[in-house]
Amino acid sequence: MNSRIRHLALAMIILYVILFVQLNVIQVGRKNTLDSDTRNTRQTVRDYNDPRGDIRTKDGVVIATSIRNESGSEFEWQRTYPKGDLYSSVTGYFTFAYGATQLEKTQNDILAGRTVEQQIKGIGSLFNGQNTTGSVQTTLDSRIQQAAKDALGKREGSVVVIEPSTGAIKAMWSYPTYDPNLVAVQDDELAGDVLRYLDSMPGKPLLANAYQERYMPGSTFKVITAAGALDAGLINSESLWEDESEFLPPQTNDPIQNYANKVCGGDLAEVFRRSCNTPFARTAIALGPQKMVDIAQSFGIGEVVPFDLPRAVSSQFGDVDYFKENLPLLGIGGFGQGNTQMVPLHMAMVAASIANKGMMMKPYVVAATYDHGGTVLRRTSPTVWKTPMSSSTSALLTELMIGVVNEGTAKCCMSLANGVQAAAKTGTAQLNAAGEPQSSHAWMIAFAPAQAPRYAIVVMLKGTTAEISAGTGGTLAGPIAKKVLDIALTR
Amino acid sequence: MAAMITATAYTLASLGKNSVIPPRILPFLAVLLLVLMSAHIGVRWLAQGADSTLLPVAVLLNGLGYVMIARLSERLAGLQTTWTFIGVACFIAVLFLVQRVNDLARYKWTFFFFGAGLLLLPMVPGIGFSSGGARIWVSVGPINFQPGEFAKLALALFFAGYLSENRELISAGTWKVGRLNLPEPRHLLPLLTAWGFSVVVMVGQKDLGSSLLFFTLFIVMVWVATEKTSFLVIGLGLFVAGATAAYFMFDHVQTRFAIWLDPWSRYEAKGFQIAQAMYALGSGGVSGTGLGLGDPTRIPEAKNDFIFAAIGEEMGLFGAAAILIAFLLLIGAGLRTAMRTHRPFEKLLAVGLTTILGTQAFIIIGGVIRVVPLTGITLPFVSYGGSSLVANYVLLALLIRVSDSSARRLGEVPNTATSGERFAVRRAIWKSKRHPNDQDDQS
Repeated sequence: MNSRIRHLALAMIILYVILFVQLNVIQVGRKNTLDSDTRNTRQTVRDYNDPRGDIRTKDGVVIATSIRNESGSEFEWQRTYPKGDLYSSVTGYFTFAYGATQLEKTQNDILAGRTVEQQIKGIGSLFNGQNTTGSVQTTLDSRIQQAAKDALGKREGSVVVIEPSTGAIKAMWSYPTYDPNLVAVQDDELAGDVLRYLDSMPGKPLLANAYQERYMPGSTFKVITAAGALDAGLINSESLWEDESEFLPPQTNDPIQNYANKVCGGDLAEVFRRSCNTPFARTAIALGPQKMVDIAQSFGIGEVVPFDLPRAVSSQFGDVDYFKENLPLLGIGGFGQGNTQMVPLHMAMVAASIANKGMMMKPYVVAATYDHGGTVLRRTSPTVWKTPMSSSTSALLTELMIGVVNEGTAKCCMSLANGVQAAAKTGTAQLNAAGEPQSSHAWMIAFAPAQAPRYAIVVMLKGTTAEISAGTGGTLAGPIAKKVLDIALTR
Repeated sequence: MAAMITATAYTLASLGKNSVIPPRILPFLAVLLLVLMSAHIGVRWLAQGADSTLLPVAVLLNGLGYVMIARLSERLAGLQTTWTFIGVACFIAVLFLVQRVNDLARYKWTFFFFGAGLLLLPMVPGIGFSSGGARIWVSVGPINFQPGEFAKLALALFFAGYLSENRELISAGTWKVGRLNLPEPRHLLPLLTAWGFSVVVMVGQKDLGSSLLFFTLFIVMVWVATEKTSFLVIGLGLFVAGATAAYFMFDHVQTRFAIWLDPWSRYEAKGFQIAQAMYALGSGGVSGTGLGLGDPTRIPEAKNDFIFAAIGEEMGLFGAAAILIAFLLLIGAGLRTAMRTHRPFEKLLAVGLTTILGTQAFIIIGGVIRVVPLTGITLPFVSYGGSSLVANYVLLALLIRVSDSSARRLGEVPNTATSGERFAVRRAIWKSKRHPNDQDDQS
């Protein structure tokens, strides 16, 4: 019988070797496939159950943190957002079942302490039980952010404040928005219901309108047309336009009119501060489709705004072939109507580039990341994205925008506290066709102090109410921009 | 050997301490250590010549399983401690009661009817009930148990007893059917009856795992006893026929088979458990997530049939391979015991018991990691469960007893009289003093 027993032993060894081989196939060979399966929630759960570092403003206010749950909860940690809805468009939310958005998503590895650098530094923590979480410091200024929220109030729209010399975002606020504390709840079903409800609401509170949506910019776009035409040498500070209330472009019988059909004309400074439409329509058509599209592209229009938050969108102007067939639309586009669409953040960057001698900086919201011990892991260094105009053109545009504040469409509302000089351009984007009820977005781009700019701002109010639609960029967006800039500049 | 147990338990304790397992685990482990030490002392006292790998390896498996169960559920860990205690008590009791293993051969028919009765018990209305799809439970008063765990021991004892007596008759093959030499039907009948039971178990209790185990046990023992490969071939044929019939007759067999081939497309339903086990093993990787740091609670029945996946997740390929090696060591020690002894009954018993251990572990581990279709069955010594743990400790005691008795015969340890024999001798002496005449008659 012993030979049979030896055979039995051999068979058993073979069976167990098969088990060992299959174990290797699963645990080593197919590990990555299994880990990345979308139905595999293990990684998410581990992220969710791990401690997680803070997100702070530049001035040290904690805007996202993790607190320990009382024992017996399903999860050990609870992510909370101490300032409620104020920073939701920057922090995003962090949930178990529905993933994460914004910084909670892009900075996940840092916050959870999972970067290679943190892991190496954190080897010691295996023994003393400390965690290896990192923290994120944003560029946001809590006072300016609060001012933006207070000034905009319950009107739909966005406010973005940028530091022109660096591209650092000092404030970014959109209304309507949401409180991430309502989403980052332990109950998956509740979180799902809240998200579905928010998604179905008008005004898209889940979208950060300031950089995830685009709107017709109206006359604020004239700074782009003017900058391009000045650099091209087509116009200069002495250029003159005849008084007219409308202009008939080629290829149509439908004339382009000034705002409220006013008679408008004069030198560059005058048509700019009064925001006449026909001179900019003529300029755009004189530049021609190719040149206008080139100018738009030099400002980064058509490219996704290079932001360090996810799902930014691109501004849009139009393409050459289309404009060749539709010259009137090129004219209208020259003053920000028609098909022209700008992301509010991008419009703030346009203002900032004028304030920064013609250089458009890459916008960013992450100032620096730190490991658990407070050592800097990575600090964002400002980089130039585009150089859409010469410094002499930016200086001339600054003068033109000062004129808008002192004698033009922003005269009502943009004289800052302590006599600080602002430079601005208003915009009232007409959304309705002739004969329809009036509907318009109200815009303001500005920077201050005009001669040594510290902040550039965009204020955009969506034309969703009769009150906003009846107003202009100057009267509606102006006071908001003034309030925010006053607080930002008063130390 | 004692040092090895201590070291193992100590390592397990420190592993537990470093993780998130609650601090109460330390007293638990102290109790566990105490219980296992008593098992060790029991072996030194009652079975001095036993193979020295059997108990420590079983204890290692028990310990690893215990740590995993404690990590999954504190409440079950407490129960498992109790069961370990009872298991070790039965282990010592069997060593004490069964001092001459060959005596058991006499009771083979008792074991047969005992085993058969146990197997059929869950099908008795009123006391048998289903849990998790299989009707393998019996409830008597407050106690629920799986009689099948004990039935497998009884059947192994019966096969060993019957085959050791009749193996020559069976292999001689005096019954000619055409060109085939078959054993006399009356010699084959008991074995075929036993095979019939495995079919009954499969059909009546939907317990594929146990059915496969009984069948393998039967075939292997007949094959080893008769040394006829034709039995292996016939057995394989019967298995294929049975499996094919089961596949077409029963929906749940088809489902099991389909999940085995592709658990992913049935993720929402029956494939969930296997898929979660795959995720668990994948996330464990080579070195594992670390005890208490993984997420094995996501696998349904992680404490039970799927404990191997939980170990693979938290202890990685290393831990899982350690389990495989531990079972191979048990199999090796068991079969070595079978080779060393010269008595056919002991030989066959050791083969049978080892086959039960090795096959059962293979069936469930293979099921979890998709080498074979999944059939619910416990992982010996590792899984949570009282019936299983107690039955496996009894199995271990029998193996150790076989190992010890062959060592005694080979003269490796002094072949002293057992306490029962000493008692008999003393009684005889005492009797002879009172009735000297009787003494004369006997001589």
